[in-house]
Amino acid sequence: MRRLINKLLPIFLLTSFNSFSSVWQKPLDEYKLGCGKKGGKLTLYSTSDPKSFNPIVAKETSTTQITSFLFEGLTQTDPCTLEVLPHLAKSWHTTEDKKEWIFYLRDDVYWSDGEKFTAQDVIFTFNEIIYNPKIPTSSRDIFTIDGKKIKVEKIDDYTVRFTLPSVFAPFLRSLSVEILPSHKYRKLVTEGKFTFSMGLDSNPSDIVGTGPFRLKKYLAGEKVVLEKNPYYWKKDACGEKLPYLDEIIFVILPNPDTALLKFLEGEIDYYSLRPQDLAVLGPIKEKDFTIYNAGIAFGSNFLVLNQNPLVNPYTKKPYVKSYKLKWFRNKLFRKAISFAINRRKIIMIVMNGLGVPQFSPLSRANKIFYSDKIIKYPYNPERAKEILSELGFRDINNDGILEDKDGYNLEINFFTNANSTERVTIATLIKKDLEKIGFKINFLPLDFNNLVNKLVSTYDWEMVLIGLTGGIEPYFGKNVWSYRGDLHMWNPTKEALDDYEVKIDNIFNRSVKTFNLDERKKFFSQWQYIVSENLPLIYTVSGYSLYAVRNRFGNLFPTVYGGAFSQIEYLYIKDKKDD
Amino acid sequence: MINYIAKRLFYSLFLLLGITFLTFLFIQIAPGDFLSELKSNPQVSRSTIKLYEEKFHLDKPLIEQYLIWVKNLLKGDLGYSFSYKAEVKKVIASRAKNTLLLSLSAVIFTWIFVIPLGILASLHKDKFIDKFLSFLSYIGISTPSFFMAMLLLYFAYITRWFPLGGMRSLRFDELSCFAKFLDIIKHLIIPTLALSFASISSLQRIMRANLLEVLGSSYILSAKARGLGKKRILYIHTLKNALNPMITIFGYQFSSLLSGAALTEIIVGWPGLGRVTLEAVMKQDLYLVMGSVIIGGVLLILGNLIADVLLASCDPRIRY
Repeated sequence: MRRLINKLLPIFLLTSFNSFSSVWQKPLDEYKLGCGKKGGKLTLYSTSDPKSFNPIVAKETSTTQITSFLFEGLTQTDPCTLEVLPHLAKSWHTTEDKKEWIFYLRDDVYWSDGEKFTAQDVIFTFNEIIYNPKIPTSSRDIFTIDGKKIKVEKIDDYTVRFTLPSVFAPFLRSLSVEILPSHKYRKLVTEGKFTFSMGLDSNPSDIVGTGPFRLKKYLAGEKVVLEKNPYYWKKDACGEKLPYLDEIIFVILPNPDTALLKFLEGEIDYYSLRPQDLAVLGPIKEKDFTIYNAGIAFGSNFLVLNQNPLVNPYTKKPYVKSYKLKWFRNKLFRKAISFAINRRKIIMIVMNGLGVPQFSPLSRANKIFYSDKIIKYPYNPERAKEILSELGFRDINNDGILEDKDGYNLEINFFTNANSTERVTIATLIKKDLEKIGFKINFLPLDFNNLVNKLVSTYDWEMVLIGLTGGIEPYFGKNVWSYRGDLHMWNPTKEALDDYEVKIDNIFNRSVKTFNLDERKKFFSQWQYIVSENLPLIYTVSGYSLYAVRNRFGNLFPTVYGGAFSQIEYLYIKDKKDD
Repeated sequence: MINYIAKRLFYSLFLLLGITFLTFLFIQIAPGDFLSELKSNPQVSRSTIKLYEEKFHLDKPLIEQYLIWVKNLLKGDLGYSFSYKAEVKKVIASRAKNTLLLSLSAVIFTWIFVIPLGILASLHKDKFIDKFLSFLSYIGISTPSFFMAMLLLYFAYITRWFPLGGMRSLRFDELSCFAKFLDIIKHLIIPTLALSFASISSLQRIMRANLLEVLGSSYILSAKARGLGKKRILYIHTLKNALNPMITIFGYQFSSLLSGAALTEIIVGWPGLGRVTLEAVMKQDLYLVMGSVIIGGVLLILGNLIADVLLASCDPRIRY
């Protein structure tokens, strides 16, 4: 019983988490990969089953966190500096106009079934899978430039030529797309069965990649076991073959609380912390694990107001009531909202203080393109009120709710997706902040599919809090930012409503035509400024990524981009005495 | 009797059609579809989404989609799961036996306790044992099974008596045959307790009420008057009559064998069907939901049928 009380006490008593800064460690800025020791297992967990082992067709996280260990691309992204590095292609050169690229492939790479990797596999992956009009894959959208394909040809067994229809700046970064073996999957592709192949019922020996691990076993709902790929090409600094680990086990645990208990008990070696978990893991003394704070995460949460001026063809009514449209289309109105949001408070309540306010459309995690030259909106409810009264909002009937010049109540319907508790809490706090300065907010959490449906097809919404996963290359957000894009949520008319929308479209189109990184940074810094000035999306907060990992691992360099195990092939288990 | 069963089965076909059509309709008219998540991804173009719609036949009219599904069903094909990109049959088959194992264990555990506890409570009506049991029942009925599972897991973590969720240990493959069996039993304890606590609580109360009702009836009084032994009255005359409503309840329980444990499965990480079905409903993975519904429907119909047949064989007053 005493033991029980000791364990329960920290959970009930610790409500202030500010003193936890000493609890976690910041990983080193630079990593040095030392020589390790062979053998051992790493036990991870996943909150849901993979959906397939097909890296081209299935792109959800539960699948990619496993396929990323099984397959590799021609290039890779340095998890720390975010630069593009050679991988299966050892080097490349390009012509002056940056349209023709020659890639020299490694000649020491084998597939996990022992066959040799050659240029044929690259040609096959691009020409027969990615550009195959019958296979649905988002990879094709990335490699379609101005509506045209890239010409991919073989020069010899280890040389490939890519001819681009026009200059495409994110080209090298995009080449991290997984290459698949021609000898294994050509038949499935020609028979038209590829889309539904490499499923969960596959024989492990039918999942063939060049990655450091290969599939050993999958038990539905229980675990995925990966084993060392004996043919893996990478060697460590001492000339030993990698990877060091024998096995990686993913235990499938849908409930994070169960995962936390299993981590405490020692059954799993890794746990991805929610802010509230610091209260449990932080106070433990003599722990055999370390909590790493890898920095600000890539994802974001933002508010968006519906500025759609069109009329619904079925109901013959405007999608947004015309007096509300007047508010939402006004830049100053959106600024008032941004000033009214107490981002610090959101960070304290939702993230236990482990986050920063976000004003740019890019997260600070994007070391390459994030710009600080943006307009910020620190919490200032007085300023927000001033702006609203300049816009003519007054509380005429003294009911605590402002009315606009025409006497309409400042009332807004506000949605977010119900399956993210974090987002629902943020939305509740924003609702309170706005109500403090005289808004009336009708808040309703909705099912995710329903919300997306409203945003992209039925357009019957007023204000939404949602997030998008972000990557490094801002150009891939073009569908959101260009007024011609399909995810241009606030204005789906495909026509620019304001000058700034034209400017942003220009920036995106020009940014892709230059390979000069400084020039590209300038373009995207302009874009970030324009967004922060016009606020089509009102960004809120971004949180830190926290991982807890047992101390027995060497070469462990957690990063935001690569996760806790960014250099999995170098990871090894230290001797007891080294601890 | 056989005539009756055949007739019931024939009518159930229409019932099944009705159930599946309604399910189909509800999922389809709910806003959004399986592709909503893709639509919210900035890197996916409309043409790719169209291609998915064609592959999944989501571009056809509703009725046509349903008819295609029914036609395939008659051939024994349950369709494809969108998210798993595999046949629904395979997805369900890989999980169904795990759920069945857990549910059966919960049902057996429940019924082992329900009848003796009900008898005990009714024989000691308003005495300490009865009050104590009813106190426990209030706790059991008012604690949701998923919360019970969480409490039990925390208990297991502190005492280290039971494994923390899952169905097998990680070293399962290295164990001997008997050790494997023990391993699964050990993993079964927490989810079984969590699942059956609530049903034991409520069924035990019903059993008690049934018994008291029969015990108070005049034929029992007359049996007592004729000097029949207490045991004989209880086990032969009372119990048999008190059991009738319980058999009907048992039939209903049959239907939840494969679907009643979703939340508990998620908490304890049991690799069952409920978890998959819940995820499928959230993601509107149409045919996977339909597959689970049809299995649930068939079990409900079978369960009711079995209960009715059992009733007829127990109670001479019921004849078909």
